[in-house]
Amino acid sequence: MNAPDPAVREYLLSLADDEHLMGQQHTEWIGVAPFLEEDLAFASIGQDELGHAAALYALLVGDDDRAIDDLAIRRDAADYRSCHLVELDTADWAEALVRHWLYDTAEGLRWRVFGESTLPGLSGIAARAEREETFHRRHADAMLDALLSVPESADRLTAAFRHLLPIAVGIFEVVDGEAAALEMGVASASVANLLPAWQDLVVARFGPVDWQMVAPPAQDGRRLRSADFAARYTRMREVYMLDPAAVW
Amino acid sequence: MRIYEVFLKKEGKQEFRHAGSLEAADDELALLLARENYARRAEGDRIWLVDRDHLVVGDDDFVAPNADKPHRHNDGGRVAERRQRIREENS
Repeated sequence: MNAPDPAVREYLLSLADDEHLMGQQHTEWIGVAPFLEEDLAFASIGQDELGHAAALYALLVGDDDRAIDDLAIRRDAADYRSCHLVELDTADWAEALVRHWLYDTAEGLRWRVFGESTLPGLSGIAARAEREETFHRRHADAMLDALLSVPESADRLTAAFRHLLPIAVGIFEVVDGEAAALEMGVASASVANLLPAWQDLVVARFGPVDWQMVAPPAQDGRRLRSADFAARYTRMREVYMLDPAAVW
Repeated sequence: MRIYEVFLKKEGKQEFRHAGSLEAADDELALLLARENYARRAEGDRIWLVDRDHLVVGDDDFVAPNADKPHRHNDGGRVAERRQRIREENS
């Protein structure tokens, strides 16, 4: 497989790493979500995100499982391009649920820029992912509908929303490689251009927001890892690193 | 929370079969949870959910008396015995 253009690589990693980390975070809820059915559903949704990440990684390194693993979990931390929202560790279910909504609402918008992509395979991956995301968003909305109707739950969700909203805006921070990727026709729009549509959806769901007061995280073009990343990085590699040469 | 019974149908021709049950706050959430809990590996291509409160359920005694009616159980044994006997008599 030919080495991908470095700019395209960086641009694809900004979505692939988000999907990968989001999947890692969601699957942590297996066994500990508030009720059995949700526990399994949430982890299953996380598994879909891992599938999207694997498909994007495969565009960069080919279908070989070991090459995909190497890219997914054997890179230097500095080479990740995840946003801070997906790196955030939380043991708070309200935060996990609000993040699920904020992230998947953005994710739906992000896949739609690949319909006419010049990168072979990408439009197909996007179409498949978006078919799954429809159900992820319905799941997030149905959970919020049920819980926002209960005052105590609504208070917790509102607190989670206030905490996460500024961090979530970091989803729309572009990487340096994006400009070249757009020029090559990999995508039809910058991720930054999707922000207004996302903001409208956020307001429709959670009510008015004073966006002037919402300060995005300092991510340095997604080159800067947040405080929670190191522990996540260790945790998601811990089995693999026991014997990196093992054949699965 | 309500309890829903989940039914899946596979490959068109087969009948719906009971897959299990789940708890959910409402119909929409029940459908979405059923999708992830019972159909995430494409275990079926159609899905039905039934709110357990909507099931018409007979109590334990409702069908028990029907278990004690040997005259309804013709396994053909006595006919076979008789035909065997006649064959042997005629041979």
